[in-house]
Amino acid sequence: MSLLIEAHELTKKYGSHTALDRVSFSVGSGRVVGLIGPNGAGKTSALRAILGLTSYTGRLAVLGREPFANRATLMREASFIADVAVLPPWLRVDQAIDFVAAVHPRFRRDRALALLAKTQIGGRRRVRELSKGMKAQVHLALTMAIDARLLVLDEPTLGLDILARRSFYDALINDYMDDTRTILVTTHQVEEIENLLTDVIFIDRGRVALDTSVAAIAANYAVLAVGDDRLAAARAEQPFFERRLLGKTLLYFEQPKPDRLAVLGEVQTPSVADLFVAKLSRVAA
Amino acid sequence: MKTYAWLVRREFWENRAIWIMPLVIGCALILAAAFGRVELGMATSAGDSPDLGGMLLFAFGVIFIVVMNIYATWYLLDCLYSERKDRSVLFWKSLPVSDTATVLAKLFTGVIAIPLVYFLTADLTTFSIAVILSIRGQTAAGELWRPDRWLQLQALWLYLIVTTAIWYAPVAGWLMVVSAWARRAVLLWSVLPLAAACVLERWFFGTHVLTKALGLRLLGYAGAAFNQPTTVDAWSRMSDTGVPRTNSLWPMLDPLRFLENAQTWVGVAVGAALLVGAIQLRLRRCES
Repeated sequence: MSLLIEAHELTKKYGSHTALDRVSFSVGSGRVVGLIGPNGAGKTSALRAILGLTSYTGRLAVLGREPFANRATLMREASFIADVAVLPPWLRVDQAIDFVAAVHPRFRRDRALALLAKTQIGGRRRVRELSKGMKAQVHLALTMAIDARLLVLDEPTLGLDILARRSFYDALINDYMDDTRTILVTTHQVEEIENLLTDVIFIDRGRVALDTSVAAIAANYAVLAVGDDRLAAARAEQPFFERRLLGKTLLYFEQPKPDRLAVLGEVQTPSVADLFVAKLSRVAA
Repeated sequence: MKTYAWLVRREFWENRAIWIMPLVIGCALILAAAFGRVELGMATSAGDSPDLGGMLLFAFGVIFIVVMNIYATWYLLDCLYSERKDRSVLFWKSLPVSDTATVLAKLFTGVIAIPLVYFLTADLTTFSIAVILSIRGQTAAGELWRPDRWLQLQALWLYLIVTTAIWYAPVAGWLMVVSAWARRAVLLWSVLPLAAACVLERWFFGTHVLTKALGLRLLGYAGAAFNQPTTVDAWSRMSDTGVPRTNSLWPMLDPLRFLENAQTWVGVAVGAALLVGAIQLRLRRCES
């Protein structure tokens, strides 16, 4: 597995504020990585650095290149959607296709047209006439028509209603995802992309709080639901986080001992979203 | 090259005023020539003047040039700001187009493409008016058809486009720097810092170096690019007598003196430095 992104001690400061504090992580080929963190955690700073949109200190290699000095060449093989509705309002859909086709060597016009045909958005429409959800669809169609080695999505569905969000991710799954695609995605709606992810990186206050494959979560984390009668015994197993839910207590364990937990109550693998809450609440505590 | 062509085309998509505005002016002038009573009165009353045609041509040219300069200034001030304001810079930057290419294409649009559009529209307009006035049987019509005058006019336009592009390079560079830098109020930022710097210089040093440099740049163009009488003189003289005294523009154009002027090249150097600054800002700024 080759590494498409390698970040070593990546740091980004805005004045006295440190958005990213010596962050190291890597993204391998064929992985779908969720970069997850609360607002202001440094997700966008990390993505901007990866995409060559901002300067930084530390070492960073994206597709083997230093991104900031080589953004234009990098964009031949990487594509991104940063935020919702960034297509210029005056642009017509057919102009967008013409332009990208002219400047992008890996853009496939036929593919863009096929993807757009599914959305029923006419080529003569201007972006400003489209709903926010339709703008996201057009942008996604343009981006998916690029045969990129790396796709970066930064909050691509923020502010869209649930129908638009669903159709965005449906299109991404049905028309883009396969074993060869590498995607790095940030979103607030972790639940919606949980099934897509092969890896998660939790980022909090400019630092990596967790970097794991989704497959490894089952081996390394467990959540135990116990009634009040067993609570003391369960706490003796040293959970790193607990919360009350429907009369039971949910206790989260790192490196759990399944045999010992099973006798206390129901043991499950936490979802990415639950693990995120558990992990970051602990950091905050 | 192909990328540059598409980048310029993109500017025309975004700023449709580039061709709509001169077209509207042209149409208005043509309508005035076709139905206007003013034209008729002028043509008959000054019918015996042999240079009425020249005066008409110059009057049309001046209208186009004034509007063009205002529009091009606004364009350069807006071109790197609007893409940050509507956040579309995040889309453009996702394409394999360098910031240098983008900024250069916008500069080219502002100082070459827009003037050329105005030039072509002005030509088409004068040609249409010549045809219309001929059909209407105006005395001036004959004057409009003089080939030497047409040739002079073409040369003047092209000379004007090239020399303004060179002379005003630092102005264009400054406007683009402001456009790439300001988070809001680009118009204010384009004027205030310079005005403040001039005032501060006077207060603290009692000198006027900056004021003089700015004055020379903004007002010295005609003197640098044209022989005496300067264009301004020539134009004002024209409105008295109807024509430049020489009845020819050729002696007015002085490319050699323009190119030998040190100020020309100082301007080019400052303009280039500012352009590099604008590219560096485009490289770093995504948010307005």
